[in-house]
Amino acid sequence: MKILIADDSRVMRQIVLRTMRQAGFGHHDFVEASDGAEALDLVASESPDLVLSDWNMPNKTGIELLRALRVTGNPVPFGFVTSEGSDEMRQTAQEAGAMFLIAKPFTSDTFESELSGMLS
Amino acid sequence: MTSASAPDEALVLAAIEQVWGSMLYASAEPWPADRPAEFESGLQAQIELRGEWNGRLVLTCDSEVATQIAGAMLGVGPDEGLEQPDVHDAVGEVLNVVGGSVKGALPGTSALGLPGVSEVTAVPSRGESFVVSWGDAPVYVQIVPDAA
Repeated sequence: MKILIADDSRVMRQIVLRTMRQAGFGHHDFVEASDGAEALDLVASESPDLVLSDWNMPNKTGIELLRALRVTGNPVPFGFVTSEGSDEMRQTAQEAGAMFLIAKPFTSDTFESELSGMLS
Repeated sequence: MTSASAPDEALVLAAIEQVWGSMLYASAEPWPADRPAEFESGLQAQIELRGEWNGRLVLTCDSEVATQIAGAMLGVGPDEGLEQPDVHDAVGEVLNVVGGSVKGALPGTSALGLPGVSEVTAVPSRGESFVVSWGDAPVYVQIVPDAA
């Protein structure tokens, strides 16, 4: 499967990638985007099977990215990996069509728990 | 603005302790008030909070500490070399996660900005900061409300 990681922090993209490997998902293909607009373009060109996205990003936030995908009918599975995990944000994410929201700081156990059903 | 919605030292310290422990595999302790905490040049990260309380969190540390923080985040040893943009990125992301935790604990906070990082050549005033430890080095933390 192909997985798109969208985060404006290159360091955080590396940490998400490392955590995915630790969770046992390192054999999948990964594509990286440095903001929401680039992620939207890469969803179109790369057709990932899953998007893992930060919430706060320049040029298009994660929730704007998700809404832009859904409004065009793109059903790609989508999860947030973000520094904020309030109930309000989780509800907003769910209503927009996200599968899950993982709050930073996270562990590989969290990734395994959220993604094992889909990726294993 | 109400005082109840303002982040206080205990709240921010708790967020830093959580981030130090889970992302950096280190402990954060309050720095003794009578212990010197000087350094000559370093990095300063800032992030804005918007809502019932408006202001920013500021984190300032020595350049070497910043490199160590980036290394801890990325699992990179001290001899492996880190690019300066990644060091800036890592320090900003640490404050971003601290800010996210603080935002989540303040019901009246509606928005968290994007972190900004710059180089500084002076430490903040001790009177306007609290200081936590990174190993045996100081890290300054400021809670700065917008000017009235």
